[in-house]
Amino acid sequence: MIRLSGIRHDFPDGPRVLEDVSCAIEPGEKVLLLGANGSGKSTLLRVLSGLVTPSAGEYRYRGSPVSPAALRDRGFGRLFRREVVLLFQHPDTMIFNPSVYEEIAFGPRQLGLTDIDRRVTRWAEVFGLTEHLERPPFALSGGEKQKVCLAALLVLEPEVLLLDEPTAHLDPRSVGWLVDFLFDLKVTLVVATQNLSLAPELGERALVLGEDHRLIYDGDLAALLRDQPRLIAANLVHTHRHRHGALEHRHFHTHDWD
Amino acid sequence: MHIPDGFIAPVVYLPAYAVASGAWVYAARRLRTILDERTLPFLAVMTATAFVLMMVAIPLPGGTTVHAAGIGLLAVLFGVWTTFLSVSLVLVLQALLLGAGGITALPVNALAMGLAGAAAARLAFAGLRGWDERAALFAAGALSVLVPALLIAVALGIQPLVAHAPDGTPRFFPFGLSVTLPAVLIPHLVVAVGEGVLTASAYRYLAALGGPRAA
Amino acid sequence: MRPESRAGLERAALVLYLAAVVALTSVHDSQVLAAALGLVLILAGRQALALMRRVLVSVGPFCALVSASYAVMMAPAGRFSADYLILVNLRVAALTALTLLVVQRIKLARALGFSRGLLFVVTLATSQALTLRRVVEDYRLALKSRTLVRLGLRDRYRHSAASAARLLSKALHQSGEIALAMRARGFFDDDAPR
Repeated sequence: MIRLSGIRHDFPDGPRVLEDVSCAIEPGEKVLLLGANGSGKSTLLRVLSGLVTPSAGEYRYRGSPVSPAALRDRGFGRLFRREVVLLFQHPDTMIFNPSVYEEIAFGPRQLGLTDIDRRVTRWAEVFGLTEHLERPPFALSGGEKQKVCLAALLVLEPEVLLLDEPTAHLDPRSVGWLVDFLFDLKVTLVVATQNLSLAPELGERALVLGEDHRLIYDGDLAALLRDQPRLIAANLVHTHRHRHGALEHRHFHTHDWD
Repeated sequence: MHIPDGFIAPVVYLPAYAVASGAWVYAARRLRTILDERTLPFLAVMTATAFVLMMVAIPLPGGTTVHAAGIGLLAVLFGVWTTFLSVSLVLVLQALLLGAGGITALPVNALAMGLAGAAAARLAFAGLRGWDERAALFAAGALSVLVPALLIAVALGIQPLVAHAPDGTPRFFPFGLSVTLPAVLIPHLVVAVGEGVLTASAYRYLAALGGPRAA
Repeated sequence: MRPESRAGLERAALVLYLAAVVALTSVHDSQVLAAALGLVLILAGRQALALMRRVLVSVGPFCALVSASYAVMMAPAGRFSADYLILVNLRVAALTALTLLVVQRIKLARALGFSRGLLFVVTLATSQALTLRRVVEDYRLALKSRTLVRLGLRDRYRHSAASAARLLSKALHQSGEIALAMRARGFFDDDAPR
């Protein structure tokens, strides 16, 4: 369904951010995109959502190449943007409509659907936003804003949901809610995160971007978590002195980043 | 407006520098007394914001866009002198960072956009605010585009008058007011409408964000 | 060379530059202007070609427009002066090339050294502008990701207005944070008594 071949990307002002990334993702998979800060996770998600055109390499969605030219085609552009959606790391980045209702209705309106009201109210209910429908999204809390964004994306009934560090700015209760929600969701999921301890709750497969911006692992998540040398190499775990009362030692481990 | 160097005569830009310098010094003093130690970071960030606001797009019918200026919005929120300083600094930054040149046009642009534009916006807002806030904001935005456009059209249009060879051929900008006024003002009318709408809408969004309100 | 001497030299260069600008706008002889342009290119050395390219990109369109309009409007009326066109374009080229060269060679910090406050503001504004630029770019990308068909005016205005508002809000917040950080580092303590 999603096929990346030899994706390489350089920022306009020079630095390379992705090097020779190739992988394939099948429908229904739940994939964790792991890597330290700066390894290129966000950029890869933006490539997958057709926002960034890689400097080299090919991206195919359902067999069709994804390129600026392809996206300009009305039919393919509309199909792609409906089926592949991206949740940005900061919900503020995505919100711009005057009310929560309008924010969720924004996508369906573009498609000219006739039952917009029904769809919006249904998805607002799923996310517990019904009482906020007439309020401006800016006035909501961080967790609620993220729910508005998710509602606005899922109301399109997409095939692929891309999430950029969705738990980074959430409080623990909201994180719990999100994990449950994603568990039941029937979409192909790609979640970029630095939070290793949360990863197993979200998916089974792991793609790891190393600090050299290459894909250094593509496989079972559980196996990765047992592979300490690889985790160390990818800068996914750290070490520091541990103090237990009078005893002090040091070993590699993770913390819950939240 | 980005006017390259060489189209404005010294008889215009030198006095403009004199006036602008006086205004800059005055504005800096005023700002200092109002804002104390927060002045410098505030001014720096306002300048950065003004710089980036000029990247925000005013959508035009037909799918094209033109760049906003945000001067009306800044003037309504932060007053004339802050806006004047920020816009002036943006012009300096543009000249230095983007290599956009225009050192002779700088005082003209600074006075037209940063001072006159901001002042017109404030006056319009203050005058209409009691009647209808949205209209007041629209007027502020629209005038912040039209007044500078008028002044710049005049600055360009008088060039043949103030600087020419003995036989009448121009030495700097070649067209007189009869050309510059319509040529500059008419396109800016459309932009003014867009900027007016944007100013009113942005102010409301800002209110929803809990942002600053007009002083 | 000692830093103070270099600063003095650069300040002198700056004064020279300003004098040159005034001179170039006070001279109306095409040959002098052409010579000035030549001198600037010589000073640019190996970067002369790149410099001319930047000049063309920067002022080419405007000059072309004015020149073409001038020809079209004046020729039929018999008031066309080729000398004028040559003069004005040479003047623009010389001034722009000179300014671009100066901007490239003179360190901003030393040029604005006459006011600590001004230098600070420009430095901070530059770095903040780069950060905020990325933020606005993200807003644009987020809209692009949610755009399925061509958007109407209303949606595009809403987005621009919301972008402007978010930008201002964020900038104000940052300004407050920066001021606090500066205070914590004692920046405001060493203000000399006035």
